[in-house]
Amino acid sequence: MHFQKLSLKFVLILTSLAAYLVPVSAASTGENALIVGANIGNVPWEFQDTAGELIGFEIDLVNEVAKRLDRAIEVINIPFNGLFSAVQSSRIDIAISSITITEQRLASVSFAQPYYDSDQSLTIRSDSSIQSINDLQDEVVAVDTGSTGDIWASENQQQYGFKEIRRYEGLAPAALDLQIGRVAGYISDIPAMQYYTKDKPELKVVERIDTGGSYSMMFRKDDELALSVNEIITNLKQEGFVNELHNKWFGVLAEETTSTAKVTAMPGVKAGLLLNFMDTFLNKAVFVETLPMLLLGLTTTLKLGLVSIVLGLFFGLLLALIRLYAPAIARVTAKIYINVFRSIPLLVLLIVIFYALPFVGISLSPFTAAATALIIVSSAYTAEIFRSGIEAIPKGQFEASQALGLSFVHMMKDVILPQATRIVIPSLTNNSINVIKDTALASVVAMPDLLKQATQAQAIAANPTPLIAAAGIYLLVLLPMVLAVSHLEKKYSKRNQ
Amino acid sequence: MDSLIQLKNVSKHYGKFMALRYVNLDVAEGEVVSVIGPSGSGKSTLIRCINLLEHYDDSGKITVNGTVVRKGADLKNVRANVGMVFQNFNLFPHMTILENVKLAPMRVGEISTEAATKRALRLLDNVGISDQADKYPGQLSGGQQQRVAIARALAMKPKILLFDEPTSALDPEMVGEVLNVIRKLAGQGVTMIIVTHEMGFARQVSDRIVFMDAGQVVESGTPADIFDGAKEPRTLTFLKNVLEQ
Repeated sequence: MHFQKLSLKFVLILTSLAAYLVPVSAASTGENALIVGANIGNVPWEFQDTAGELIGFEIDLVNEVAKRLDRAIEVINIPFNGLFSAVQSSRIDIAISSITITEQRLASVSFAQPYYDSDQSLTIRSDSSIQSINDLQDEVVAVDTGSTGDIWASENQQQYGFKEIRRYEGLAPAALDLQIGRVAGYISDIPAMQYYTKDKPELKVVERIDTGGSYSMMFRKDDELALSVNEIITNLKQEGFVNELHNKWFGVLAEETTSTAKVTAMPGVKAGLLLNFMDTFLNKAVFVETLPMLLLGLTTTLKLGLVSIVLGLFFGLLLALIRLYAPAIARVTAKIYINVFRSIPLLVLLIVIFYALPFVGISLSPFTAAATALIIVSSAYTAEIFRSGIEAIPKGQFEASQALGLSFVHMMKDVILPQATRIVIPSLTNNSINVIKDTALASVVAMPDLLKQATQAQAIAANPTPLIAAAGIYLLVLLPMVLAVSHLEKKYSKRNQ
Repeated sequence: MDSLIQLKNVSKHYGKFMALRYVNLDVAEGEVVSVIGPSGSGKSTLIRCINLLEHYDDSGKITVNGTVVRKGADLKNVRANVGMVFQNFNLFPHMTILENVKLAPMRVGEISTEAATKRALRLLDNVGISDQADKYPGQLSGGQQQRVAIARALAMKPKILLFDEPTSALDPEMVGEVLNVIRKLAGQGVTMIIVTHEMGFARQVSDRIVFMDAGQVVESGTPADIFDGAKEPRTLTFLKNVLEQ
């Protein structure tokens, strides 16, 4: 009856929150290893070579830092926008992933001194007519959720007239959609894109976007480890180690004026800001600032949910009737459909529809792809619900209808389905609630639904308040639905006594 | 002689079991026939074949008002001519009494809501429940529900009414009110086949009694023929058992 035992959205939110609720101190593991969180796959900073070994600029750097701290190291793969909660909860000691130091992030986390000056870049398909940001009017652009590119694109959307900003969880899916042609350009960190397109002639970096960000390692706010690491980086810069890494990974030495070569101050720690529970989980300023974003996400979630529920009900009923009353071949086909799509995880189906179908010439928008997947699966479940309802109607009801001379359509419409529907209202509602919850899966195809917006907001603010707020909004929407249904059930059952 | 209902050599198999064996029966227009016999003798199966709630073997043939009763386009005509009253009423629980009676005339007869309401209220009045028209079946007693079911069966103005043990599911004190309604109908020219265990009633209203056993028509005749002068040993045994109770 459920798409998943627990809807993925809540799993995602819970995972993010679990970081806060069950703080695991890395030091308490006893091995005294430094736990490093990294978004693996972020070339050339942290990724896997063909042998599966972790390599990259920041991997080399953090290894050297750990060596000088005389500590072992353990790297955990965490998506970019999950790194913030991970350091705040002490699940990891250090976060690396070409994280840009921003004023907003410094309010909630600490950084060591920067070691790379970056800019954003525009990447396009090589056969595209687009040559610069100015050509992107009325086009869809891709960014990484909550990244510097995301922040820049959002701030400049009006100026350049982007039709839509589509947010991805990492480089690979965004680059794939760029190749398929769903997006016209991809705005992301220039070093990563230069490295990534090196052996991919079909993609091209065409413009540097001067955003002036610098990367560094990120720590829990006011963690003393940040100071020690900062000192080590000072030494490594003076020894030329950092610039050697630049040479190793980019093929040239960095200029003397860049933060790769020059020792700089540790980014300003905002004075007197010790984060307490309220500041972290229920930060009013962050809440007020991100609420419009969340409400926009809610609209998308509700639209997607509603379309999927209504069409899912319609096709589900149709399937149930075919499954019960159609000629044998159609009956068997319906049965196969119902069983197959109840067995496929929704997320897998969604990814196949969105990323695989373009290779056979069917390229769906995120909304259509998400709605299609939800409807396909929901109708399979709904069909079984309706069938159980129809089969629960006493045989006498069918016989009385037939004896009265009612046609099949009238028998179903006037006699059987009204009764069957009442029986299955609880199941149908549970299913509908699950559909709304499962809309959160659309995040993976860059749909700006409620969860996606919340994830983005928490990455930009480096604060989990938007996730808490999103959980609250889901509750506000779904709880009344649950209550309304219990009420309806009671009313109907009274009437039928 | 013109028969409204004609059964020729009708058999019915459930797998290897034969529920009906070569039944022949003719019912004339306006005739009231009661079918009696022990449980499991095939009485209900017999009348359920007449409007094809049960399919009968290809070897036999049933005609109603000249139309052969088989699956197909003509089945609609047959069912429009044949009303049926069930042992368990089978009212539609989600509709009011009035809606129950109105449904078929509106959907099958395609008459206006207004005309259907008028007809339904008149029929409910005939069975003495017009004051309950807006209630739901669950709010009525069994006897009242069965009277509504009779009104519903009459709503299509059928030539024939089939009664499948109409009082068997009722509490004893409610049997009378239902039988009275049927008795009243019997005097109005509707052709009826009644499967019943109410021997006194059968004797009183019927033009003819059909006694069945083991899927066969054993004996038939006027009430006097059967109740006072049955010839077959199986009929005699059955009547003796029933009347001794």
